[in-house]
Amino acid sequence: MSKKLLWAASAAVLLHASPALAGTDADIQALRAEIQAMKQMYEQKIDTLEDRIDSLQHVTKAQNVASVEPSAGPIETASVPATATRQTGDNSFNPAVSVILNGRYGSFSERDSELAGFAIGEETERPEEGLSIDETELNFSASVDDKFRGSATIALHEHDGEGVEIEIEEAYLETIALPHGVQAKAGRFFSDIGYLNSHHTHEDDFVDRPLPSRAFLNKAYNDDGVEVSWILPTDLYSEIGGSILQGDDFPAGGGDGSDFGSWTAYGRIGGDIGENTAWRAGVSTLQASGVERSANEDLVLFEGDSDLYIADARVVWAPTGNNHEEEVIVQGEYFIRNEDGSYDDTDAGTGAVFYDDRQTGWYAQGVYKFHPQWRAGLRYSALDSGNIPDALAGSALDADGHDPWNASGMIDWSNSEFSRLRLQFSREELANDLDDNQVMLQYIMSIGAHGAHAF
Amino acid sequence: MIIRKSYFWAIMVLGMLSASPASASINIFACEPEWGALAEEIGGDHVTVSVATTARQNAHHVSAKPSLLAKVRKADLVFCTGASLEIGWLPLLLRKAGGPDVQPETAGWLMASDYVDKLDVPDHVNRSMGHIHPEGNPHVHLNPHHILTVSEYLADRLAVIDPDHAADYGARLTAFQQRWTQTMEQWERNAGELKGAHVIVYHNGWSYLLDWLGMNAAAALEPKPGIPPTASHLEEVLRTVKAQNVQAILVAPHEDEKAAQWLSDQSGIPILHLPYTVGGNDKAQDLNGLFTETVRLLKGARS
Repeated sequence: MSKKLLWAASAAVLLHASPALAGTDADIQALRAEIQAMKQMYEQKIDTLEDRIDSLQHVTKAQNVASVEPSAGPIETASVPATATRQTGDNSFNPAVSVILNGRYGSFSERDSELAGFAIGEETERPEEGLSIDETELNFSASVDDKFRGSATIALHEHDGEGVEIEIEEAYLETIALPHGVQAKAGRFFSDIGYLNSHHTHEDDFVDRPLPSRAFLNKAYNDDGVEVSWILPTDLYSEIGGSILQGDDFPAGGGDGSDFGSWTAYGRIGGDIGENTAWRAGVSTLQASGVERSANEDLVLFEGDSDLYIADARVVWAPTGNNHEEEVIVQGEYFIRNEDGSYDDTDAGTGAVFYDDRQTGWYAQGVYKFHPQWRAGLRYSALDSGNIPDALAGSALDADGHDPWNASGMIDWSNSEFSRLRLQFSREELANDLDDNQVMLQYIMSIGAHGAHAF
Repeated sequence: MIIRKSYFWAIMVLGMLSASPASASINIFACEPEWGALAEEIGGDHVTVSVATTARQNAHHVSAKPSLLAKVRKADLVFCTGASLEIGWLPLLLRKAGGPDVQPETAGWLMASDYVDKLDVPDHVNRSMGHIHPEGNPHVHLNPHHILTVSEYLADRLAVIDPDHAADYGARLTAFQQRWTQTMEQWERNAGELKGAHVIVYHNGWSYLLDWLGMNAAAALEPKPGIPPTASHLEEVLRTVKAQNVQAILVAPHEDEKAAQWLSDQSGIPILHLPYTVGGNDKAQDLNGLFTETVRLLKGARS
């Protein structure tokens, strides 16, 4: 990388070019000016090159001693300051902070709502009518050092007349530098089962979660534990993973800390079809044992084992090849839950009744982005509460021959990546004689750091 | 349960086996086509390049797709624009699938915009200003001097990652730079007449091109960066451009043409489809083609 070489090169260029330029004074002047310009450029370049050689030597050294400096490493000694080093003072180490504001207006034709055939958790109850702030989410995240990243999401919400509830939705550390596609996570997090469960609700395409997420996961399963995932070294994306958890969140519950109350496992594949279509599909399970769970406002108790199996798939198609302009998303999940234990509906006075049965549910939805700012979507979800022992007749587990379903249509507008307004109409028939027509208007605003969302 | 366990181990073992044959070439994950093309220029046969986006896609609005996870997992070098252009998806890919050698601030992580002087660096930022990047305008690739600068850093990194072929990378770099410097002069000579010309842009993705050629953006169709054109803003643009001698409305393959079409109909200013990046039109199939085409088309619009 010597100066000589460059000069030789430029001389060669000039020699090569000169015959065409033979002749007038003006041409010679132009040639001089050009040579001058080239000379300056090469000198500049040589300086940069020398700088680079210096810094390259630094890099090589750093490689040898396996330096673990998290930032301002040797690579950043370039002539142009890297962006990360532009900030000054303590602020540059502050975590990325973002707040999600989520509010809504709801109007429902039925005074009450209940889900026939299922004992449900608190989050699954129909939201309040009228105007309300739904959930306010605060997220803090940053790399801890060069090996770990930490993230905490605190959700503030109110339930009817119970005051403000502060929930630690997620608080976990994850590895960022494990080799071979392995990642580990510890703390509290949304388990990687199915599709929706691991996503925050502000990323959802509808105001509320579909029926199976509500009935089987109390909207979403987040628990304390350790999760490990491994992306296999295949050309087709394939990933397996699993976790062991305390077993303290619905549908588990009653984990007393002496044992692992639940575990999860999943396998997933995905890829592209041509340049315009991306897809993923997976199967997963959540196995909770030794469950002691109270539901329906503590009126229904379940003790035993609760095993959930989910199959999920998602396809994203950009008709023009540009997802920003136009996009079609089709997604669905199928749930099977086997529970083995006893149910006790204290309200109906059934006493503890032996229960060993299967319940299922599914949803399918399609969302069409027809303009960079506008999207419209349709969703159908349904549940089958399965058979019940005779002794539970008349209890909350007795669907009375009705299979709950919900059909929703929505349209949303996003002024920017950070704001979204949504109007949704739903028809819910969750129990006999409950034909609920719902109108919901929602805003989701994100302030602070620019988040990254999983596919 | 026993059956399930044995399946699990079978999958694990299969995975390990398929992983073991050491791949001879260096895997480069390029976020945008222009960096993919540069990686091929400098890396030659020693590298295998996978590009995350196409010319049709807006690199800011890509999602962390499964196929990209599989690609990042194998990457020895992640070569992107930086300056928050890929902030919505790249960090996720790196955390989830990236190895220790491609994480930020390592040799396997190269952000082109870190090494060039950026335009439009805001002295303060606020989201009401639209989608602005605190680091400055990230669309740095349309100034060929930047390509030259970045090619050196790329060759350095390749030499660190793959020391066995360091000499080859050095030689390819020298050859590329010689070639590039020559053609760059040709472009500059060729485009001399464009100096001072006014054009309308959709987004500030053209700033570096205009800066290089001494051209001016008379107006942007977006009222604010990242906010799609509105009727009232377009009316205003129409009023302001009437007084100026505007040559063309520049549109990239990933930009919506409707607003440009409306303005063109109203004002008589022609729309000019430029390739914007490698693969942006039939002739822009490599970096040389990209700039040659861009200059040719700009000159054509002027005559």
